[in-house]
Amino acid sequence: MNMIVCCKQVLDPEAPPASFKIDPANNKVVPPPGVPPVISPFDEQAVEAALRIKDNQGGKITVLSLGNNLLRDVVKKPLSMGADELILLEDEAFEGGDSWSTAYALATAIKKIGEFDLIFCGRQAADWDAGQVGSGIAELLGIPSVTVAKKVEAVDGKARVERVIADGYQVIEVTLPALITVSNELGEARYATLKGIMAAAKKQPIIWKPSDIGVDPSQIGAPGRRSKLFKLFQPVREGKCEIIEAETPAEAGTNLATKLREAKII
Amino acid sequence: MDFNLTEEQKMIASSAKEIAEAFGPEYWRQKEEKGEFGDEFWKAIGDAGFVGIAIPEEYGGSGRGTTELLTAMEELAANGCGMAGVWYLILTEVFGGLSIVRHGAEEHKRKYLPGIAKGELEFCMALTEPDAGSNTLNTKTTAKKQGNEWVIEGNKTFISGADRAKGMMIVARTTPKEKVTKKTLGLSLFLTDLPHELVEVKPIPKHGINYSHSCQVSFNGLRLPENALMPPQDLGWYSVLDTLNPERMSFTAAAVGIARLAINKAVDYSKQRKVFGDVPIGSYQGLQFPLAEAYATLEAARLLNFKAASLFDNGADAASVGAAVNMSSVAAVENATKAVYWAMQVFGGYGYAKEYDIERWWREINLIRLAPLTHQMALNYIGEHVLGMPRAYY
Ligand SMILES: Cc1cc2nc3c(=O)[nH]c(=O)nc-3n(C[C@H](O)[C@H](O)[C@H](O)COP(=O)(O)OP(=O)(O)OC[C@H]3O[C@@H](n4cnc5c(N)ncnc54)[C@H](O)[C@@H]3O)c2cc1C
Ligand SMILES: Cc1cc2nc3c(=O)[nH]c(=O)nc-3n(C[C@H](O)[C@H](O)[C@H](O)COP(=O)(O)OP(=O)(O)OC[C@H]3O[C@@H](n4cnc5c(N)ncnc54)[C@H](O)[C@@H]3O)c2cc1C
Repeated sequence: MNMIVCCKQVLDPEAPPASFKIDPANNKVVPPPGVPPVISPFDEQAVEAALRIKDNQGGKITVLSLGNNLLRDVVKKPLSMGADELILLEDEAFEGGDSWSTAYALATAIKKIGEFDLIFCGRQAADWDAGQVGSGIAELLGIPSVTVAKKVEAVDGKARVERVIADGYQVIEVTLPALITVSNELGEARYATLKGIMAAAKKQPIIWKPSDIGVDPSQIGAPGRRSKLFKLFQPVREGKCEIIEAETPAEAGTNLATKLREAKII
Repeated sequence: MDFNLTEEQKMIASSAKEIAEAFGPEYWRQKEEKGEFGDEFWKAIGDAGFVGIAIPEEYGGSGRGTTELLTAMEELAANGCGMAGVWYLILTEVFGGLSIVRHGAEEHKRKYLPGIAKGELEFCMALTEPDAGSNTLNTKTTAKKQGNEWVIEGNKTFISGADRAKGMMIVARTTPKEKVTKKTLGLSLFLTDLPHELVEVKPIPKHGINYSHSCQVSFNGLRLPENALMPPQDLGWYSVLDTLNPERMSFTAAAVGIARLAINKAVDYSKQRKVFGDVPIGSYQGLQFPLAEAYATLEAARLLNFKAASLFDNGADAASVGAAVNMSSVAAVENATKAVYWAMQVFGGYGYAKEYDIERWWREINLIRLAPLTHQMALNYIGEHVLGMPRAYY
């Protein structure tokens, strides 16, 4: 089983909210000082999904990360969890992209890798939460995709996927090769072990520049964007607290439900 | 001089952080209140290989040094575990692992190290006695040779983890004090399996850290085979320094970690809490300055501790290691205590409530001025051995 997992380095979503700042002039997020970036948590779960298949039936896991100035100790984390190989699409030309230009570059790199049965992505990146790249890659490669998976098994040339829906899950079978995006319902990703960390520290990632994968330079990074960001701002949040008065708990419940219905929350 | 962690050390730190976040303050609040061992946490760090960081690869560990061990310890403490992130590692990896790595015979290594490295064989160390705390050379527990066996008699106190441990290192006197040519001679180290019917273990109710029990231990004619002795006989005092130095370094890592945890929590709170008008209490210099001072000096303690670790890992002489260890300990004890004191102050009355965890960290930080070495004994060491001043006590 040849598996590829796309992992994005993002600002730590657990960083204290007070440290979050944006540069409105350039429509950019300012990285908080002293808070190192992480692999997007959904992507770690995508690695976990691949590792579970590898645990059961063996296989090879190649991790693909795109960006610029990627921190080695961060992007190597999937290796320390048990992935086999790391390819970095690393160049300043990849900076400032959107879902399209990222999917295009990743899909082109995956074509260069050649052989694969399953591609895993996180359901969305923890920074922009767009959730487009996975399906975009599948579209560009002309393979089926299943999104928001909570369980993935590979059997007889097919993948059996439990896909999360609002009030339960669907079971979907898809022929391989296929792309699957993984949701948090999959369960916690495993910790990096000391042995894994030592092996990862020794491994050198393979680095591909745009010319190595033969992408059209006008389609990657900022020039390749198909969406335009007009305004990036921090909404001012106001908390308002309303106490629902009532004689009895039952009446309070009714009053609360009425309020929520009026506010179109339920 | 390179102050950067290596790529591997950074990955160890981030893995420790991740585990600590999964076993945060609420987990330890409950464990401490119930007086329960943190089994789930212990399994997690065992599975991740943290209990074997400093144990050679041929015995199932990762073959790294105390630098990596301290890095992991500090991150575990600082990211949610407090003292618990360090304590269990001290008992098993330092008291058991490092002692045997440095001074165990090959058969001891093969017997104990693989289990220790996996976190399956918990350890403890029986050094302190009712009349031999700061003064180890007062050790009265005896080990006498009878045929081809050692017979151990005596009482130990405050032996942490003795109620659960499967292995114990014992410091006992093999030559009476009156018969040695030099008072640092005559002690030896022994290893025993536990539990044992001739070893009585009784937990001592205590101030904090109640997810682990420190116990009174009596050896009532415990018989051990000849090879239970970690050679060389009578030179145990010199050997045990290789356990006590990393133990102190571990406590400094704990002090820095607990202080970071408490300061971070206090800083967050101070930015939100408003008492007078629309200014947060964090803007008052009366609260800011002591926290800033503690933080700055702790960073110095931390760096000095890494220097100690580097000396220890690279086989420096005991005097150089001892100087760095005791100086960083002095800085850590004073400033970590101050840091938690002021974190509690920032929380006002809430600092006294269990729910906010600060009072637990306060009980934890109170230990480090008393054990493993009292603050005064660290100062004595610096006065005598670093500054070369006359010794005040005999
Ligand atoms: C929670 C806990 C866990 C422990 N776990 C272990 C363990 O697992 N294994 C183990 O072997 N031990 C353990 N200990 C014991 C610990 O190492 C000792 O308590 C410590 O070494 C201090 O010894 P003492 O309690 O006998 O104090 P004492 O030696 O009686 O000291 C009393 C006071 O006198 C001061 N003093 C003594 N001599 C001098 C001097 N020359 N100059 C100035 N001041 C002096 C000391 O600084 C201290 O303030 C633990 C202790 C505690 C509290
Ligand atoms: C065990 C216990 C029992 C109690 N019993 C009672 C009781 O029976 N009845 C009762 O009414 N109350 C009781 N209290 C409440 C107690 O009086 C308050 O906790 C105390 O007044 C502090 O208020 P606070 O906790 O809101 O702290 P805060 O007012 O929030 O203070 C937080 C921190 O900010 C500092 N700070 C605030 N303003 C300034 C400033 N202008 N300059 C510098 N620093 C500042 C404070 O010194 C403190 O360090 C009790 C509290 C405890 C812990």
